Amino acid sequence: MTPFLEVKDCRKHYGAIRAVDGVSFAVAPGEIVGVIGPNGSGKTTLFNAILGQIRPTSGHMQFCGEDITGMSPLALARRGVSRTFQTLQVFGQLSVRDNLIVAAQEFKGTLRSRLFAPPDAGLGRHADEMIELFRLQQVAHLPAGSLSYGQQKLIDIAMAFMPAPRLVLLDEPCAGVNPALVEQLRELLLELNRAQRGSFVVIEHNMDFVMRLCPRVICMVEGRVLAEGAPADVQSNRAVLEAYLGN
Amino acid sequence: MRTILALAVALIALAFAPLALKNYGIYLLTLWCVYVMAGMGLNLTVGYAGQMSIGHAAFLGIGAYAAAILMKLGWSFWMVLPVAALLCFAAGLVLGFPALRVQHHYLAFATLGFNVLMFLFFRNEEWLTGGTFGISGIPRPSFLHWSLERSGAYFYFTYASMIVLALVLAWLIRSPWGRAFAALRDNPIRAESLGINIMAYTLLAFAIGAAFAGIAGAYFAALVQFIEPAPFSLTASLMMLLMVIVGGSGRFFGPMLGVAIVILLPEWLRFMKDWYLVMFGLAVVGLMIWLPGGLLSIAGRPRRT
Repeated sequence: MTPFLEVKDCRKHYGAIRAVDGVSFAVAPGEIVGVIGPNGSGKTTLFNAILGQIRPTSGHMQFCGEDITGMSPLALARRGVSRTFQTLQVFGQLSVRDNLIVAAQEFKGTLRSRLFAPPDAGLGRHADEMIELFRLQQVAHLPAGSLSYGQQKLIDIAMAFMPAPRLVLLDEPCAGVNPALVEQLRELLLELNRAQRGSFVVIEHNMDFVMRLCPRVICMVEGRVLAEGAPADVQSNRAVLEAYLGN
Repeated sequence: MRTILALAVALIALAFAPLALKNYGIYLLTLWCVYVMAGMGLNLTVGYAGQMSIGHAAFLGIGAYAAAILMKLGWSFWMVLPVAALLCFAAGLVLGFPALRVQHHYLAFATLGFNVLMFLFFRNEEWLTGGTFGISGIPRPSFLHWSLERSGAYFYFTYASMIVLALVLAWLIRSPWGRAFAALRDNPIRAESLGINIMAYTLLAFAIGAAFAGIAGAYFAALVQFIEPAPFSLTASLMMLLMVIVGGSGRFFGPMLGVAIVILLPEWLRFMKDWYLVMFGLAVVGLMIWLPGGLLSIAGRPRRT
């Protein structure tokens, strides 16, 4: 199958530190790929290099056949690439509903037409559906910043899916989330994958979550890909056990 | 419903206020309208879009001088008004560019530099601005066939214009643009990753805010009928920022309340003679300590829901 996202020999060096050191991988349409590895192994740096937050030292990235190396986050968003961040990134003073609407409004019409668009930019129904899917009805009109960490995490993820992106990079979606919510999150992501048919790349430390969500897993250590394959194979890989998972 | 009722009462009370006031009171009330217009623009830039500006008085000055010069040349107020707004919109766009590179106190200094530059221009370019002698004899406009020479008539004209401008701002912040401005304020990195063109919205926040000040400047020139550089100095910009912050930055009615405090409170404190500005300063310090979100933060409502 033609790769949807293709990362070729991506490197990001900070002086002598090789945060990402020759990583290559591909993601197929609709595929969910997990990225695991110890802290400081270069996972988030790799995400930031793919998403234009930082410029890679060398290497190439292609999305749907187009070279996206060094492209700005804005240009990537316009091409259907979405992301979540490791830390919470909601718009704290906007209501939950407004957070979801603003996440998709810029994909409708032109800058000028949006000035004269209705206040909900025609996205009110879609936002309400997403609110229902993420079970946020009770807090939909409250400022996002006033909610609990877990609820903000759900908003953060729901925002990434509002514009129905073709590719979503999720950076530690389970971090700081209680176990009951982790299971809900896994089900939500599978549901969104079925409904929107997008591809996901998920960085996560919660092994149970990754193994049950991702049919394919990449393990990174010291900026390099140490192992890649089915979750069970990666989990039992001797090098992965020694460097990350332990016995 | 309670807000609408309170607003209706306030609007009616203000409409009847000139009947109970002498000329100076009406002048202060008209000045309040002018600064509310400018303050609403600054509130858009600072409060809604999260940018920093301590150069807003420069835009008020550009609007005022444009109006004064052109009206002295015989242009009608109605032709001058869009020129003042467009001139400031363009100047606001230019001032917005540093905001794309720097933020917070660095941006504050960039806007401060702009204000100082414009002040020096108003003071030194005598051939155009009259320098420290200023420009006098600025005519008041007329509306249809009604003369607005009398202070009461000019108040009602300015009051109505302020309401129109407030409605424009209300529509703007309720539109998707308003939501994008708020996203820019709350988290520009996240905003960009969601396809929000932060460059365009940053520039627009400065330009629209400046255009409001430009319009206010034209009304100011026709109100005082004599302009010189002092009302457009750095101190004036700081006072305008204070107006927005005291009322409640990012709150629609913040500038209305803030301007009332900054313009009217010193007048009410005049019975204290030499101490009135000291008391005013202390009141502001106290307010910033106990209510850093401005007076309207007492209500504790979200800024935009």
